[in-house]
Amino acid sequence: MLELREVTKTYGRTTAVDRLSITIHPGRVTGFLGPNGAGKTTTMRLLLGLERPDTGAALVNGRPYHALARPLQEVGALLDAGAVHPGRTARAHLGWLAAAAGLERSRIAEVLELTGLTGVAGRRVGGFSLGMRQRLGLASALLADPPILILDEPVNGLDPEGVRWTRDLLRGLAARGRTVLISSHLISEMALTADHLVVIGRGRLLADGPPDALGEGSLEDAYLRLTDQAVEYRAGDR
Amino acid sequence: MKTALRAEWAKFRTVRSTVLIPGVAILLGLGVGLLDVSSIDWTSTDPASLDPVSESFAGFQFAELAFAALGVLAISSEYGTGLIDTTFLAVPRRRTVYAAKIVVLAAFTLAICTVTTFTAFLLGQAVLSGHHASVSLGDPGVLRAVVCAAVYMTVVTLVGFAVGALIRHTAGAMAVMFGLVFLAWPVARAVEGISTLPSKLLLVNAAGALTAIRPITGPPAARTPSLALAAATLLGYTVLFLTTAYWRFRNGRR
Repeated sequence: MLELREVTKTYGRTTAVDRLSITIHPGRVTGFLGPNGAGKTTTMRLLLGLERPDTGAALVNGRPYHALARPLQEVGALLDAGAVHPGRTARAHLGWLAAAAGLERSRIAEVLELTGLTGVAGRRVGGFSLGMRQRLGLASALLADPPILILDEPVNGLDPEGVRWTRDLLRGLAARGRTVLISSHLISEMALTADHLVVIGRGRLLADGPPDALGEGSLEDAYLRLTDQAVEYRAGDR
Repeated sequence: MKTALRAEWAKFRTVRSTVLIPGVAILLGLGVGLLDVSSIDWTSTDPASLDPVSESFAGFQFAELAFAALGVLAISSEYGTGLIDTTFLAVPRRRTVYAAKIVVLAAFTLAICTVTTFTAFLLGQAVLSGHHASVSLGDPGVLRAVVCAAVYMTVVTLVGFAVGALIRHTAGAMAVMFGLVFLAWPVARAVEGISTLPSKLLLVNAAGALTAIRPITGPPAARTPSLALAAATLLGYTVLFLTTAYWRFRNGRR
């Protein structure tokens, strides 16, 4: 379970996250939506202990991320698929992560096979396409088989086969009781993948419920209505 | 800490720069040193005034910059690519990450540099013995000089690491290291009319004092620190830079 309690995070005069309280429950795929700059990535970074909240608490299973004894075994994360050393091979990248998590090396071959990277495991990541890097990012997140996944735009750059595969994988994991939080700008993809949606705008919670409770008409229409109000609010605020 | 050390070592040995940079450094260190001792003009040089140890280390002034690059890259590449986030996800305690990185870098560099300085010393003496100018490891100060040469290069590597952690940008950190190692010398020299202390506190002059076995004579003697001051300088740079960089590593964004 992931939890934000009244979290506020500001950078200088910009408020990225504004008194945000959300609980992400296990057993379902939670889609995280919001316009550019809404604070989705900051929220994920707060949950992962990469940013410290100014006020409030961001908790993983009731504890802040830095207090987790074996973090990779508890949470798998993909924030930026480009955040890999271009000179390292895919296998070496997973290798140091496995060493940090204290995992058997056999697990590396398993996630490489799972994400379809076995054939390119010995190649340097610098030569990878965005889609291949996304697959490597997913392999890293799944490496220690964690019960919680936090994925920022996981299907960005994937081919249709990869998108379908990721969707089936995440839905399968949620069905087996895992907690899955994914952000995306692809509303149609969210309609197919997510059981539950959290929408934020300007760092504030706009909606938290199942997709059909978001509003009238298509999910896209409902989303645009919701976030349009956030934009109007912002314009009137200045 | 054990898993953090394993992870950092796994990271360290799986990029090409870890092999290439020390490789280049060793070639420069040994090659230039050999060239230096082989090209001594014996018709005008008195073997008794020559320092046979520091002569064989002539190549290390080039090698040290390569090791500075090794230290810088060990951390700046993680900030450059964003990999540092993944590192913190795997090991959320920043103090542990910082310590593990330093232990791996220092152990690797010290091991490589010890082998290199002993090799450079032996190669140098092999050439010098033909001119009856060589010394052996058992002679006074010789072992200290050879060991200190390796320690000095490790210090430069760690200062490079600290500067990399402070600046988080490879090119910028390298420019600072170049200034610190090479350009600080003329600056300190320019103020020698007022005080020779800045010169005495330079990394290169500390190294010069620690790797010599005969008293340095002539004008350079004024800017050569005592052995104790030189040792304190190396320790001081290491502690000062690593502590300052830790503060930024721990509290800076990311």
